[in-house]
Amino acid sequence: MKTLLLATLALGFVPAASAQFNFGKLSQGLDTLKDVGKVAKGAAKIGPEEEKVIGDSVALEIISRNGGLVHDEEITRRVNLVGRAVARYSARPDAAWRFGVLDSPAINAFSAPDGYVLLTRGLYDLADSDDALAAVLGHEIAHITKRHALSIVERGEFLSGVTNIASKQSGNVQQVQAQLKQFDLGIEKIISTLFEKGFDPQTEYEADREGRSLATTTGYAPDGLKNVLTALEKKGAGPQPIFSTHPPLKERIKRL
Amino acid sequence: MKPPLSRWLIILLAAIAGAAVLEAAVVVGTTVYAKRFETNLLTQPQPLAPSSAKVTTGRKLRVDEVRGNWLRVSDAGTSGWVFAGNVSDVKPVEIKGVDGLPIAASKTTATAAGRPLTQAAEDYATRRNIGNARSDLEWLLQQARTVSDDDVQKFLQEQKKGEFQ
Repeated sequence: MKTLLLATLALGFVPAASAQFNFGKLSQGLDTLKDVGKVAKGAAKIGPEEEKVIGDSVALEIISRNGGLVHDEEITRRVNLVGRAVARYSARPDAAWRFGVLDSPAINAFSAPDGYVLLTRGLYDLADSDDALAAVLGHEIAHITKRHALSIVERGEFLSGVTNIASKQSGNVQQVQAQLKQFDLGIEKIISTLFEKGFDPQTEYEADREGRSLATTTGYAPDGLKNVLTALEKKGAGPQPIFSTHPPLKERIKRL
Repeated sequence: MKPPLSRWLIILLAAIAGAAVLEAAVVVGTTVYAKRFETNLLTQPQPLAPSSAKVTTGRKLRVDEVRGNWLRVSDAGTSGWVFAGNVSDVKPVEIKGVDGLPIAASKTTATAAGRPLTQAAEDYATRRNIGNARSDLEWLLQQARTVSDDDVQKFLQEQKKGEFQ
């Protein structure tokens, strides 16, 4: 699976041809992209407007790489109700929380900035109680409130080479393309962490602790996540990858 | 029929354990901060009690009393009860980007969650040739719009979660 993911990444991030750009529609987005560059270079935090653009783009990639979304209104409503209930007591209760189920048999969950939480059908089926579902969603909510994905680019060099390019004013096509390319590279950096490298173990343990605390505060069983992970450990390795980019199950269970 | 003593004991221990989780972090005399766009302080430690005041994100509050999951808080003439999950012992970080907007700018989750895709992300989908993912995401945003803040409140009430535990 990892090999497959690597291959997908390699193919997926070939720079897009400029012929595909719709310059007429770009002006709105470019303000934000230019600003993202300024933010990153100045070591300032990425603000809400930039976070929306980054979050949307990362969510698009997650969906694209995991078989699309399950278009089941009942399931989607359930995950949104449980997810929004848990997120309500998070550090960002008023954020734009959206929860969906990916049409993949793998067992995994992902989050993207600006409140996107997406879990696979494999994990949704396994989390057969609200306690278990709340625990899984709580973990991903914690990744967002702790800005784990955004810290990848905040710590790094997101758009560092193209700051303060006044492309909108100049209308310079090459500058526009350079900005877009750098933006895409920033998204790639996040995606690479989500699908290939994974967050570092301490970040995952932090999300486990925070997610457990959130679920408990909301009134769900404190051992929800531990039970899910234990069930997975007992189930053992199967044809589908299990939390392939997370620390070993045994260690996560031990720390919960 | 009265429940057996052992059941009462279990209930009591569970209540103590639940309260201990929160009280471990929040004790009388400490400071907490409102983290919602608007938080109602209530006249009693009950979710549907009348509101005595409203405070906004980041408002510093002193904890005067802890009763289970509820805290009686005050600040400069404002006081009332709040569910512990609605405040934080860490001051919310108001992150402002070059857009100058704070992170908690949206008044309700439902409004924010239902927003359309950003233009830049639509362009990104075009560049990356992932139109199907874009359609899926737009479907999800449409679904998110159908879950109102009132729906979540009703869900919490029915499931006896959050303030309704």
